[in-house]
Amino acid sequence: MHDVAAAQQIAATVLQTANEQEAELVRRIEIALGAMTMIDAEQLEFWLKQGLRGTVADDATIVIEQMPLRARCRSCKYEGEIEVPDDPIYHLMPFVPTCPECGADQLEVLGGAECVVRSIRVSDAEIADEA
Amino acid sequence: MSDSNLSDNSRDIIIDVDLHRRTSELADENLSLLDEHGVTAMDVLGSVGSGKTTLIGQIVRRLRDRLSIAVIAGDITTRIDADRIEREGVPVIQIQTGGACHLDGELVRRGLERLDLDAVDLLIVENVGNLICPAAFPVGSHRRVVLLSVTEGPYMAVKHPIMVRQADVAGINKIDLADAMEVDVAKLAEDVRSVHPEIEVVATNARAGEGIDEVIAALGLSGANSGSDGPTENEGRDA
Ligand SMILES: Nc1nc2c(ncn2[C@@H]2O[C@H](COP(=O)(O)OP(=O)(O)O)[C@@H](O)[C@H]2O)c(=O)[nH]1
Ligand SMILES: [Mg+2]
Ligand SMILES: [Zn+2]
Repeated sequence: MHDVAAAQQIAATVLQTANEQEAELVRRIEIALGAMTMIDAEQLEFWLKQGLRGTVADDATIVIEQMPLRARCRSCKYEGEIEVPDDPIYHLMPFVPTCPECGADQLEVLGGAECVVRSIRVSDAEIADEA
Repeated sequence: MSDSNLSDNSRDIIIDVDLHRRTSELADENLSLLDEHGVTAMDVLGSVGSGKTTLIGQIVRRLRDRLSIAVIAGDITTRIDADRIEREGVPVIQIQTGGACHLDGELVRRGLERLDLDAVDLLIVENVGNLICPAAFPVGSHRRVVLLSVTEGPYMAVKHPIMVRQADVAGINKIDLADAMEVDVAKLAEDVRSVHPEIEVVATNARAGEGIDEVIAALGLSGANSGSDGPTENEGRDA
């Protein structure tokens, strides 16, 4: 549900980079989205498209790689992926991941909390002026 | 401009910016802005219904004669909360989170732009009721209160290590309901300290106004005068 805010920030990051690099067009945006962010990839893409309307990134292909939660259990040393339930209730109460082996909730998160703009592909070619 | 063509002269730019880092940068910018204008800021985190608005109302009531206070309310639950605090006679800036479940630095920044910061001594931010995001989304404040309610059950503290670790003061609220909920407040306080040994823990009944002075003391705001005395070093009693 914080997809809107995340999308706004991604859009700002993309446009700022494109501007700094004096790119004419942004063709592709690559994002890594961790399961623990509780952000829905489709919603994120939708809001990101809205946020990029009428900008140099209007037509960019948006690629979102979903990163699973990976954690290490402090009690039994289990290390691996942990499923994050897709339930909006976790926007109102915390999701506390537990160890699939021993049930402990003292986990060290190794990955899956991130929301990263990895890269953008830009082109410097100008579109032929049709005027 | 250069000769135009659609030939594929595209290039990849690696960015690798985590939004968490970006949000802490924004929070730092807010802090500098607040510091420039001599504003002390605190934010209150906690689940929906834990008593954040009630607590803020009580704090305002006790400090409004000594300090010029402004409140930024990011609660999803509409105008009602803002009105409750406005009745205490301080300006409340309501921030529309647009369906988002947290306030972030950017939104708070917009709120700050609507305030005359030179006329404000103390800014109180009510963060939206969510326990995942606020931990990862600092808004830019000097002091953070996490409000746990006994109605959330006995394992509240150990289940939110991140949030508890980021707070300076933990309020254990609704102690009037502790017996009914079969929650041992002392045990809850102990749990909070086991997660964050330096935190100040205060038991409160925000509705009846119990423990509010202790929260204010733990925030270092006891006896703070706008101008003359400044915040005391007094670090309040514990629960
Ligand atoms: N019994 C009891 N109720 C409280 C206490 N503090 C707040 N409440 C009530 O809990 C409800 C939610 O409080 P509110 O301040 O709106 O919570 P918020 O969502 O965190 O802002 C309201 O009905 C308050 O009157 C308390 O210490 N004891
Ligand atoms: Mg509220
Ligand atoms: Zn385990």
